[in-house]
Amino acid sequence: MKWTIDRVIEIIKAKFGKYIKDMYRPMANQVIIVMDKSAAPKATLFLLKEAGVPEPQLSTVVGTDERPIRGMFSIIYWVSVNAEGGDAWIGIKTYLHEDDLKIESITPLHPGANWYEREIRDLLGIIPVNHPDPRRLVLPDDFPKNIYPLRKEYDYRSKPTVTPRHVFKRPAEGTVIVPFGPYHAACDEPYHFRLYVKGEEIVDADYRGFYNHRGIEKLAESRLTYNQIPFIAERICGICGFVHSTAYCQAVENAMGIDVPERARYIRTIMLEIERIESHLLWIGIACHLAGFDTGFMHAWRIREKDMWLAERLTGNRKTYGLNVIGGVRRDILEYRKSLALNTLSELKREYKEFVDMLSSTKSFIKRCEGVGVLPYNKAVAYSTTGPTARGSGRRIDVRKDHPYAAYGELDFKVPVYKDGDVLARAMVRIDEVWESIWIIEQALDKLPGGPLRAEIKRIEPYREALSYDEAPRGENVHYVMLGRGNKVYRWKVRAPTYNNLPAVPEMLKGYTIADAPLIIASIDPCFSCTERVLVIDVRTGEKKAYTEREFNYLSIRKSRR
Amino acid sequence: MSYVTLNYPFEPLEAPPEYRGRPRIDPKLCVGCGACSRVCPSDAIIVEDNYRDGLRRIKLDISRCIRCACCEEACPTGAIKLTREFELASPRKEDFTQIFELRLVKCSICGKPSDYTVRQVEKAKQILSHLPKEEVDEIIKRITVCRECRRKKTIRTTFESIPILGLIRA
Repeated sequence: MKWTIDRVIEIIKAKFGKYIKDMYRPMANQVIIVMDKSAAPKATLFLLKEAGVPEPQLSTVVGTDERPIRGMFSIIYWVSVNAEGGDAWIGIKTYLHEDDLKIESITPLHPGANWYEREIRDLLGIIPVNHPDPRRLVLPDDFPKNIYPLRKEYDYRSKPTVTPRHVFKRPAEGTVIVPFGPYHAACDEPYHFRLYVKGEEIVDADYRGFYNHRGIEKLAESRLTYNQIPFIAERICGICGFVHSTAYCQAVENAMGIDVPERARYIRTIMLEIERIESHLLWIGIACHLAGFDTGFMHAWRIREKDMWLAERLTGNRKTYGLNVIGGVRRDILEYRKSLALNTLSELKREYKEFVDMLSSTKSFIKRCEGVGVLPYNKAVAYSTTGPTARGSGRRIDVRKDHPYAAYGELDFKVPVYKDGDVLARAMVRIDEVWESIWIIEQALDKLPGGPLRAEIKRIEPYREALSYDEAPRGENVHYVMLGRGNKVYRWKVRAPTYNNLPAVPEMLKGYTIADAPLIIASIDPCFSCTERVLVIDVRTGEKKAYTEREFNYLSIRKSRR
Repeated sequence: MSYVTLNYPFEPLEAPPEYRGRPRIDPKLCVGCGACSRVCPSDAIIVEDNYRDGLRRIKLDISRCIRCACCEEACPTGAIKLTREFELASPRKEDFTQIFELRLVKCSICGKPSDYTVRQVEKAKQILSHLPKEEVDEIIKRITVCRECRRKKTIRTTFESIPILGLIRA
């Protein structure tokens, strides 16, 4: 029996009926259930743990300062039903009064909520009671207390004065700390992992990130108009930018109730898949490089160049396609570009096959990846991991299949799933997905329907809300939009896939050696810029326990002499 | 393709025809309507009126440009185009801006500069060319009014349209 949205609503009504205050459906597959503050976390946990929903996923938690509209703060827990079990997104919403900004934390029972609740505490000042981690997540540690940047009274240009400070976890007896990042040869972007090691073995790990925090959400709320945001959304990430602009446009279209023309949906699909090929080839290259197989790295990137070239011919640029607007796309795929794309793809296919054959017969690469960084299925569920990270651990979830958007509902493709949960499984998922992406593009180009590229937008009704989702190369990407007045969004919440995957990395690291750490961290294909959005302030953390560069150099030299 | 590495930068590299590179404005074609500056998501084009000298200044700042080509789509005369240039590094700040000025038309009542450029009026005439010349002249005269005169005119017409107000004035 399919898990339709009505069935899920029935189940919640049966159990939490007396706490439900209101219920509305922004979209056919979305529902927002307004509940009492006491019941909302319980209902969320019930859906995630007990209800028996297939592959439930805490997709995002949105905190909004709704004081100008309703005089209250609000939190929405968005839970999705996956694994082709039914297309449903359930938003459990609750209002919090300014005098009592406390809500029961769900992190002790569902670790996947850890970051969401810390982010809301940092940015809005809503305190999750009994949260196991009292440290800050998004805001720099030197940011003053009692200033919450996502509250509406906070001006996006303000720069509060700061005093540096940050506390890391205490190391266990007999362990040594190895700081890894913010700047490290294996980091593409600034992040800081602290590895607690015994000899070579990693016993625990800690993460401190959000050095790339740019305040895009605040900027969008206060400064940008609807049509400017697709361009800044595209710049959230340097690799999967189109995913973000598509998700934003879809969110606004969903909230406004616009039907996007068929041709535009197909063009979006084609570009999303071109981006996926590009991203996966990039990752395979990096993985080869980190496993010490540089020939593979060069070959992967050589093949990737074909895809980049194709993107340039189709949209005018290798990245940042600038293609999306609310209601459709801006540029057409003309007939000559179609044949160009097909020719390039057949070339790419041939070369990619040669490359995959070579890679799978390279023992050094396979040996480095096999049995390393294992993330078991239950941990993958507990952290609500998404994308290839989840599929490598046997979770059958893919937004393209479970909640069809753009043109995916009309196209045929498979979702590769591997059960081993190690780095190799995650690599195999990506390697297989490239084939599927090529196949999707070929179908979409073949089926490409005629018609207009853009739908007309007549009127924007303020304060309507909707969720939008798409499958980024790294996993499920969720955007929430609440429309506002004066040609501006009231709230735009971005949840990039790495945000769900990164908290699971410390689990993967435990029990493996330092030499494997870069490969394990890279195996989720982390995208830090995606994950870190909301604020403007520079981080200058004074780290008391970290070694200075000289000390660290001295230690590494001493270690290698032995 | 058989090559492995290109001999770039020792040989020039040509971008594909679809490439969106540095935008350039052709000052000969620009009418100064400011449509580009309205659609630009990153505020790279700024249009300012200088009433004292009677000039409209159009400033294109390449360093703010995100190459989205919204301006190219909006331009009514095809004056702004995204070229295929991509090698933009330069030690001189001036290389990143393109500035030019267009003359503003004189107010048909007081003779001070108004809110339209001379070329905008020419363009309007061109669009209205299917109408008889007298009618076009009448429309142009009515439109090319400076802000102050327009304000006065609005007040006057309001007074005239409501008879009671006319009596008060008398």
